[in-house]
Amino acid sequence: MAADLLTCPLCGFAFEKVDTLCAHGCPLGAMCHLVRCPGCGYEFPEKPRTVSWMDRLLGRTATGGADLPEGVRPLAELESGAAATVACLGGKNGDRHGTLSVFGFLPGAEITLLQQRPACVVRVGETELAIDADIAREILVRPV
Amino acid sequence: MPTLETRDRPLPHAPGREGAREAATLVLVGNANVGKSVLFRNLTNRYVTVSNYPGTTVEIVRARADLGDRTVEVVDTPGINDLSPRSEDARVARDLLLESDDATILQVADAKNLRRALLLTLQLAELGRPMVLALNMHDELEERGGRIDVEALSEILGIPVVPTVAVRDRGTEELIEAIDEARIPRRFGRILEGNDEYARNRAALERVTDILESTWAIEQPRHASLRVRLGFWAMHPWKGLGVLGLVLGAVFWFVGLLGAGTLVDFFEVAIFQQRIGPLVIRFLDALLPFGHAHAVETVAHPIGLPVTPVHEWTVGTLSREVVVPGYELAANGAGAWWPSVSRFVHDLFVGEYGLITMGLSYAFAIVLPIVTTFFLAFSVLEDSGYFPRMAIMVNRLFRKMGLNGKAVLPMILGLGCDTMATMSTRILETRRERIVTTLLLALAVPCSAQLGVLLAMTTALSLPAAMLWVVVIVGVILFVGWLTARLWGASSSEFVLEVPPMRWPQASNVLVKTYGRLKWYLKEVVPLFLLGTFVLFVLDELDLLGRIADIGEPLVTGWLGLPSDMTNAFLVGFLRRDFGAVYILDAATGPNAVLSPHQIFVAMITITLFIPCFANLLIIAREHGVRVAVRMSAFIFPFAFLVGGTFHQLGAWLPIS
Repeated sequence: MAADLLTCPLCGFAFEKVDTLCAHGCPLGAMCHLVRCPGCGYEFPEKPRTVSWMDRLLGRTATGGADLPEGVRPLAELESGAAATVACLGGKNGDRHGTLSVFGFLPGAEITLLQQRPACVVRVGETELAIDADIAREILVRPV
Repeated sequence: MPTLETRDRPLPHAPGREGAREAATLVLVGNANVGKSVLFRNLTNRYVTVSNYPGTTVEIVRARADLGDRTVEVVDTPGINDLSPRSEDARVARDLLLESDDATILQVADAKNLRRALLLTLQLAELGRPMVLALNMHDELEERGGRIDVEALSEILGIPVVPTVAVRDRGTEELIEAIDEARIPRRFGRILEGNDEYARNRAALERVTDILESTWAIEQPRHASLRVRLGFWAMHPWKGLGVLGLVLGAVFWFVGLLGAGTLVDFFEVAIFQQRIGPLVIRFLDALLPFGHAHAVETVAHPIGLPVTPVHEWTVGTLSREVVVPGYELAANGAGAWWPSVSRFVHDLFVGEYGLITMGLSYAFAIVLPIVTTFFLAFSVLEDSGYFPRMAIMVNRLFRKMGLNGKAVLPMILGLGCDTMATMSTRILETRRERIVTTLLLALAVPCSAQLGVLLAMTTALSLPAAMLWVVVIVGVILFVGWLTARLWGASSSEFVLEVPPMRWPQASNVLVKTYGRLKWYLKEVVPLFLLGTFVLFVLDELDLLGRIADIGEPLVTGWLGLPSDMTNAFLVGFLRRDFGAVYILDAATGPNAVLSPHQIFVAMITITLFIPCFANLLIIAREHGVRVAVRMSAFIFPFAFLVGGTFHQLGAWLPIS
């Protein structure tokens, strides 16, 4: 199973190809070599761009800031008091997604950022959540 | 966490089901901080622990309730977010639901936070049990201009839905009636299939959003109340540090000065030395006479209120002339067997190492006031919702030790009792974090009893020396934590923590929690104190104390530069660290003080880092296995002496005396 997992270069979400968000009956059909991440909706070629040793040396990974689509920013760069919708939870599909989802913190959820330091605190509905700065850098949001 | 076992009644043997709707058991389920425990109290008229920090009511509380004409067994469960066995709490709640298969489920929801509640409702529906949904804190929803279409919601879910305000006992009657009508909810199972928890939650939340759209509305609050603002200040980058400082200062005054100073003085001097001691001595002298005469001394008890560590607002002094344990044998007293037996029994109870004059007096006069004030302060902070904010403040620092902010709760609880704190490391996610926290607790976090005694010792030191002691201990925690993070190379688990709303602590909650913890503590500490005293007494009777002191001499005198009889302090420190510390305190500030400030400093560092008490060691072995406990001891014992000895050798360069 692990071999079939695709990892979104934007948010790091790992998913199976069958979960891709591409609409069924897309005219491109089998010709299309793009997949769409169910976590954030980002479209990318199925074979990920390789990270050169130079990139690694400079500390760059495939999720480099330059690749972010228009209007999407890491949660860690949101200003206090700003509202946003969650685009992607980032990281590997696992515990973090489960933990965040029970609080209603999911792609599409409306959040308000309360503070960034010393830890990122967001309000989701009536729940206030403290999130580590490292995780906040991986979570992507669309400011409203 | 401490238990309130007395509240834990056994389940009745399955009573015959007289009717289809007969509820033999009623299980309360819900998210954290929705008022489950208050509702439980309303239903049963029995009080239970109510907690603000997600994850403190690990114990299950049961009670009988007369609902209408029936008697029902009501069970309270810890707050959970979903049924996945992620945390200990959720496992407990889930197991409880699965084992009582004839139970009716009463889900308690925060009416303001219905989204999360319904996520749980959909999962509970999978169990196929009769259910009732209580929409608690309904008044707060109305204040916020919100509304819930209760009937529509009841229709959609297929179960009775009742708005309640548990803190004002509103809606309780309606709820009791609704429990009779409990029905098996509609299943939304189709969308919830699949192994992936995230995918299931996502699908369920979509369904919840549909339900909420037609039944529920709320508005954001327009102005923040003082409580809410206080909650923000407590986690503000720099205001939060101020709040942290204020909180620690207040706790220090209450526990360190009032508890360990004024109250200990009162219990130790006014109660034990002035009243109980003389009374028991006279009683035993009358019962078992042997030729001896007790010394009579004037014991003064100053009455006052502490202001700072060195200033006190004094009211007056109460002096009494009383007999003290020390005595001189009459010339003709020795030899015969009966007076020897009398003397043995006499010394066993009221001698230098007497069970009453030393054991009980240490346990009740010195340790009890300190522990009581500590647990009171801890319960107030816990009930107010401050701890998660504290975790946010220290998260960055703890990350350096490969832990995250959540580990602050066991560490703070460790300042009360390391044994209890070791048990509470269960709230941490990975085994590595649990073990590292346990190690730091066992190594360098002094429990309140020990801390009180250590603080009392600092009065014999200069201020720079006392500060240096704090710096050394905090430094050791950071260094060892950092070292373990380096050696084990793993980063901390992900820090995602719910921040509950701040609230004014409720007196009844605080008192009940303090009482439960104190009871637990006393059950553990008093037998060990008596055992420790007894061991000392027997060793003294057999003249072994001197010999043990000789064996320990190279280490204690040579390496640490302490008088050889300080070996006894470390010997009893095996039983309880605070007991050992009390012994040193006696030598440092007692009537026959023998230690120089430099020696006090070295002894303080060594006993603070010294091996955990016996009970703590047992719990470490229980929680993490015997091997871990043995390895920790094998590290801590030499390490404590290494650090203590190093500071002795550095002696001349330290700002002491």
